[in-house]
Amino acid sequence: MNETSSIVALPLVESDEERAIRDAVRTCALRYGHDRFIDAARRGESPTELWDSLAAGGYLGVNIPEAYGGGGLGLRELCMVSEELAAAGCPLLLLLVSPAIAGTILTRHGSPIQRERWLPGIGAGTSKIVFAITEADAGSNTHRIATTARRDGEDWVLNGAKTFISGVNEADAVLVVARSGASAPGAPGQLSLFLVDAGAPGLQRTVIPTALDAPELQFTLFFDNVRVPGDRLVGAEGDGLRIGFDGLNPERLIAASICTGTGRYALERACTYARERQVWSAPIGSHQGIAHPLAEAKMALELARHTMQRAAALHDAGLPAGEACNMAKFAAAEAGMKCVDQAIQTHGGNGIALEYGLTSLWWTVRLMAIAPVSREMILNYVAEHSLGLPRSY
Amino acid sequence: MKIVVCVKQVPDTWAEKKLDASKTLDRVSVDNILNEMDEFALEEALQMIAAHSGTVTVLSMGPDSATEAIRKALSMGADGAIHIVDDALKGSCAAVTSLVLAKALERIGDYDLVISGSEASDARTSVVPAMLAERLGIPQVTFVNKVEVDPAAKTLKANRITDDGYQVVEASLPAMISAVEKMNEPRYPSFKGIMAAKKKPVETLSIADLGLEADAVGLSGSWTKVNDSADRPPRSAGTIVEDEGNGGAALVDFLASKKFV
Ligand SMILES: Cc1cc2nc3c(=O)[nH]c(=O)nc-3n(C[C@@H](O)[C@H](O)[C@H](O)COP(=O)(O)OP(=O)(O)OC[C@H]3O[C@@H](n4cnc5c(N)ncnc54)[C@H](O)[C@@H]3O)c2cc1C
Ligand SMILES: Cc1cc2nc3c(=O)[nH]c(=O)nc-3n(C[C@H](O)[C@H](O)[C@H](O)COP(=O)(O)OP(=O)(O)OC[C@H]3O[C@@H](n4cnc5c(N)ncnc54)[C@H](O)[C@@H]3O)c2cc1C
Repeated sequence: MNETSSIVALPLVESDEERAIRDAVRTCALRYGHDRFIDAARRGESPTELWDSLAAGGYLGVNIPEAYGGGGLGLRELCMVSEELAAAGCPLLLLLVSPAIAGTILTRHGSPIQRERWLPGIGAGTSKIVFAITEADAGSNTHRIATTARRDGEDWVLNGAKTFISGVNEADAVLVVARSGASAPGAPGQLSLFLVDAGAPGLQRTVIPTALDAPELQFTLFFDNVRVPGDRLVGAEGDGLRIGFDGLNPERLIAASICTGTGRYALERACTYARERQVWSAPIGSHQGIAHPLAEAKMALELARHTMQRAAALHDAGLPAGEACNMAKFAAAEAGMKCVDQAIQTHGGNGIALEYGLTSLWWTVRLMAIAPVSREMILNYVAEHSLGLPRSY
Repeated sequence: MKIVVCVKQVPDTWAEKKLDASKTLDRVSVDNILNEMDEFALEEALQMIAAHSGTVTVLSMGPDSATEAIRKALSMGADGAIHIVDDALKGSCAAVTSLVLAKALERIGDYDLVISGSEASDARTSVVPAMLAERLGIPQVTFVNKVEVDPAAKTLKANRITDDGYQVVEASLPAMISAVEKMNEPRYPSFKGIMAAKKKPVETLSIADLGLEADAVGLSGSWTKVNDSADRPPRSAGTIVEDEGNGGAALVDFLASKKFV
């Protein structure tokens, strides 16, 4: 076959270092703890101490190049960090936007000055960049984006609105996808990417209350003549969609890792409970009605993890990884939901009690069937691109 | 300062511990970890050299697989390690363990301080530190939860936990201390620490390197041996104290009957 097939190998056994990375992140997250994590989220506070200790350990920027103070590794390792956090009951959605999307896009497409300015902070976890593409009237159809960027001398001026943008309250900047060309909405190829300061004059935000027990809040953003200096355009003008796609594979991978980690968390709790809880003559885990769905969830989980690791390897090798990353996110979201749902079922009434720490993560996995790309849009993608079936929309 | 930290690899705290055919602990079929108490010892050493400069060497006696625990210590920040590994060591009792560790320390020579955990979570004798200090002929301060060193004056001052409180003890260096839990908060390895650990020097020594004969160590050299063992009996049902207005008194009666109060 081709040369690359021999270069890109997927290790089936993790290295000593990789296991040590998992172990350290897990220790750190367990020390912080799920209960504290959820308490903070419910009070609308950030798990600052957890974030800071991960940052101090250098775990938040494992995928950022070493030249910018990061770990110099890839999404394989960032997925490990993210999965371990979730497996300890502390999933961090911000990893999905800051190191994964913004980190990858800036590494690949940022100007030298932009990389100098932003990557060290992302790598160290001291600055956070979030990502804004979704609009209320465009939804899954990115081509309908209507937020505009108009040139004004050296600057750009942004107008419009974005919705469901995560973590803006914690962010230093927002990576915004806007329509920079004059052509009518719907025409492709006219989108550009801008790094907008989260506190830029004219940028307003309102919280969207959601069911999520996550520290990252969701916002609607309003851009009212937000002035952005010319050097904040990332990549070439009009190239936003292509560049943005480079951030989407990492985003899907981290979404997947949040689901596989949460799945592990849920299964661990479910099995501990099922081994001990007894209402007839034997522990409930011996009833096949409880054991088999857990076994199925476990298999779905391991299949998803494997798919995710393969997708990360392709991405890290710089090979086309769109199909693999979409499949990984799809599989992981389905597996994550299955694990949490079955863990709740295994706990009976206790599954609903807040004390058992399962409902707190339900919406996190449920979300991943909708965002960053919906289940249906992945099915569309696979039908069209993998199977060559005609497009319906 | 030159600090040596003794670390032991032990079965994971939650693993079910079993004896193998030689009536020694089965270390093969379980997950092994760095003895948790030793992390406190190491953390203390790392904080000391951060304050006073110097090096931390990790010393461990254990099978090949103990490299994992050693590497964890290196990833936390130790500068190098000495690993004593020899088939003849299997089954060594506490007295022999202390002999082997003492030989290694004599070989190192110019250390200022030896820090160990105060208990290994598997065998839990807590006597290795004391035996080791005795063999080395240096002051020992065991069960320490706070310590200050003065490298210039070559002294240390430590709080030593006792049943009723603590003693404040001073000693001259070189000395041996054993760390209790909660003495500090052991750091978890940083990403860079993990990546650097493999490049740090680990010296592997056999008992011959330490000038010991095979029959002086292991099962044959041990002063004590296990003749027989039995599984722990299953936990019996607890006593339920119903609170009918006299719950407090009933609890005290119960505790008194168990000689807790
Ligand atoms: C099932 C079983 C039966 C045993 N039977 C006997 C017996 O009959 N008689 C007997 O004397 N012993 C017996 N032992 C104990 C024995 O072999 C110990 O494991 C060994 O001597 C170390 O003692 P410890 O683990 O109790 O260490 P502790 O004294 O509890 O450890 C204190 C500290 O010493 C240091 N340390 C201990 N071991 C090492 C090491 N190998 N390398 C580096 N540092 C170390 C660590 O810092 C540790 O935190 C038995 C152990 C087991 C598991
Ligand atoms: C908690 C949360 C956090 C988010 N964070 C961010 C963020 O940080 N940044 C950001 O830019 N966005 C973010 N999003 C937005 C997210 O990416 C979108 O919600 C998602 O892409 C779906 O778009 P939509 O909500 O507009 O749904 P719609 O596009 O309105 O879709 C509604 C339903 O119709 C289905 N559908 C649509 N088109 C088709 C079709 N052609 N064929 C079949 N079915 C179809 C969809 O699958 C879905 O089930 C977040 C969303 C949530 C809920």
